[in-house]
Amino acid sequence: MPTQELIPIRFALNGRTVEARVPPGMTLLELVRREFRLTAAKEGCGKGECGACTVLLNDQPINSCLKLAASLRPTDRVVTLEGLADDPLMVTIQKAYVAEGAVQCGFCIPGMVMSSYHLLRTHPQPSAAQIKEFHSGNLCRCTGYAKIEKAVAKAAAAAATSGQPAGGPAPEPRKETR
Amino acid sequence: MDSLARVHFPATLSEAAAILRARPGARLIAGGTDLLVKHRNGLLPEVTDFIDVTGLGLHEIVLADGQVRIGSGCTMTAVAGHPLVRERFPALVQGAMQVGAFQIRNAATLGGNVGNASPAGDSIPPLVSLDAVALLFGPDGRRTVPLAEFFTGPGKTVLQPGELIEAFLLPDRRTAGAFLKLGERRAHAISKVSLAFSCWESAPGRREVRIALGAVAPTVIRCRKAEELLSAAPWPPPAELVDKARALVVEAARPIDDLRSQKEYRRRMTGVLFQRALEQVRA
Repeated sequence: MPTQELIPIRFALNGRTVEARVPPGMTLLELVRREFRLTAAKEGCGKGECGACTVLLNDQPINSCLKLAASLRPTDRVVTLEGLADDPLMVTIQKAYVAEGAVQCGFCIPGMVMSSYHLLRTHPQPSAAQIKEFHSGNLCRCTGYAKIEKAVAKAAAAAATSGQPAGGPAPEPRKETR
Repeated sequence: MDSLARVHFPATLSEAAAILRARPGARLIAGGTDLLVKHRNGLLPEVTDFIDVTGLGLHEIVLADGQVRIGSGCTMTAVAGHPLVRERFPALVQGAMQVGAFQIRNAATLGGNVGNASPAGDSIPPLVSLDAVALLFGPDGRRTVPLAEFFTGPGKTVLQPGELIEAFLLPDRRTAGAFLKLGERRAHAISKVSLAFSCWESAPGRREVRIALGAVAPTVIRCRKAEELLSAAPWPPPAELVDKARALVVEAARPIDDLRSQKEYRRRMTGVLFQRALEQVRA
């Protein structure tokens, strides 16, 4: 095996500038889980099919299992679910998932709620079709999606009545305490 | 598992081309949505280097000299959302929006999808139907290749050692069009068969028609006989001509049986997709 050089990177993780030295093949998912101990994002398939590893890169959802950590730039902003723990919209989404019984084994949920969050940020009053569309990159093998879709609709209604900010870029996420 | 020794971050196209030519084990990486899956599953044991091309300024979409120029590093999301594309190329918008899911489309690039040269790549039939030309950059300079002549087989292209796709050039015209695909499910599935239909006014009451098929031949193919028939006919084409064109489209398909589908199903569905695309464009 050839010697692997470590690549120095710097980027914003959950609102804080972080640095790391990463092997060439390391993914963003491996980086946040192993180096930063942010374990909400999960490796389900490792192929970009299941969406359990979904994080936001510059406000857009991506599969962190397919993002080369070495390619992160100082201007890149990565937000994991941990970074949204105190975000009112995310809390509303999580409460709605619980209320609707949308969670069974739970493995897909960290990715699922990231997609819900992205949907409700960009489409505060989504149609049923939009709810399906925005979660099409997240696989759940337990509930069959109906309860998840109901939960997202409920979260949208709850966010609207509580006057939570929606639309536009995500707010500055919680600072990492580590 | 990891044969990967280095990731390069060239700042210029020349630098990228030089690394690509000097290192046979080097592969270009942009979104990584296909390359990393293969790499991590041990399917690329020969790959020693990645060349990150995301810093080369290849993510612009501009109108110049009668052409819409789409940088090869544009993501599917960027392509499908750009006004220059949305106003002119509906087939490409639909194709880009049917690649993977949101997470994939936010990372996957047009250059990657084309460079991969999968006969099932969903952005390829739309590009071919729009007479797209690939602008290539290599150690000996630039050259252009019509996309319909770019592919030589599954995963194979006319790219020479050290050459990379810089951009796609599409004639600036307002087209009508559609891209339709059939996969295992509606979202986030690889095409079993796909079809792009684009047309534009060539004379009053006439339209120039392009039809490209995906996943039914070793490369994406054009249905030239059906194109000629419809392009010579008044628009919208009369029913009997549509039937003839449909037969010609089915005839052009040369599908195989594989893990995703069967030859006969693909052949028949090619005709169905043609009919649906035409209906969508006429509506």
